[in-house]
Amino acid sequence: MHDETDETIIRIAAALRPLPEVDAAQKARVLVAVAADRERARERRIRVARGWRIAGAGTFVAAAGLAAAVWLRAPERAAQVATIAPAAASPTVSAAPSLAVDARLATYKSVQVVLRAPAARRVSVVGDFNSWDTDADAMSRDPATGLWSRTLALRPGRHVYAFVVDDSVWMRDPRSPAAEDKDFGRPGSVLLVGQP
Amino acid sequence: MSKPHPLQLIKPAAPADRPESGSAAERSLLVAAARRGDVRAFAELVDAYYARCLRFAMHMLANRSDAEEAVQDTFVRVYRALPGYEERESFEPWLFRILANRCRSAGARERRRSEFVEFGEVPERASERRHDDAIAWREEITRALAALPPEQREAFLMRHVEDLTYDDMAIATGAGISALKMRVKRACDALRLRLTEDFGARRD
Repeated sequence: MHDETDETIIRIAAALRPLPEVDAAQKARVLVAVAADRERARERRIRVARGWRIAGAGTFVAAAGLAAAVWLRAPERAAQVATIAPAAASPTVSAAPSLAVDARLATYKSVQVVLRAPAARRVSVVGDFNSWDTDADAMSRDPATGLWSRTLALRPGRHVYAFVVDDSVWMRDPRSPAAEDKDFGRPGSVLLVGQP
Repeated sequence: MSKPHPLQLIKPAAPADRPESGSAAERSLLVAAARRGDVRAFAELVDAYYARCLRFAMHMLANRSDAEEAVQDTFVRVYRALPGYEERESFEPWLFRILANRCRSAGARERRRSEFVEFGEVPERASERRHDDAIAWREEITRALAALPPEQREAFLMRHVEDLTYDDMAIATGAGISALKMRVKRACDALRLRLTEDFGARRD
């Protein structure tokens, strides 16, 4: 039999070949799970090294509904608005039971960072969670809306962050509380991520 | 709409028309970086392979949410297993081995749970009958595929949809090459028979 050249088999294979649309929130669950894995390993190492315990984040304000908007002052750019809101489908809540990392997932929150910057060529979010690395969390642009977005897996608690536009403009979010502890002497904003 | 590309590691200004999974060289660089613990490289790998893995899992499990779960679990297992991954192995069959295992156990669980349910097709078919030939053809294929024994379905998909070589399929399934060829042949025979008969009858 020459199934490789059989017309029916070729047609069947062709009908099965189109790739499904990928839901970014579903895909992000992998990275959330992996980040949780890494963080757990890191905590274990720290505890062993320093006899430390990671404090619970019960004192922090819950982030439900947290949204901040800011008009940025970049003179030559279209007005830009940054909003931060918990991602619609929190992977920490609906994690599938067979995912063995469920318990660890519960310690992370999925937070979507959005910046409206239609004229920008490249935007990244930097913060304590990625060591202020401008290459770590590049945001993706939706050409239809000019919105840049990025889903982050963050531990509950207080995070300081900023946006870097076109590798040249560093901006914080003035409507979020300004961070007093300026990392690298640059302005940052505070993001509170609630307990699950 | 262009696909969001959450992490950019190798080429920060990657063009939108980049091939589906990048070049083989780029992928092996990514695998090597991920193996050293580079999370961004791992994220690139997830980006490069998620859709393909999802395609395979959806055809194996015939259910989107089971398929998503299987794929996500697969990548988490891949991540954990990366330190033990030998770089002389090729990544793709290794990935498919983990994925196929995961789909097999999910499939077995599903069969125990619902032996009589034909994966949610019934309401659609009852409600709307605006199938043009292409849609009818695809539905017939889905049903014919689901009717195959899992190991034949798996072998057929790997060979004819995922374009794995028989050598890679042997790595991915643990079965011998002649057994795999037999599975693929049986799958082809069954599909051909069912689709020429059923589809012919349906069109009349």
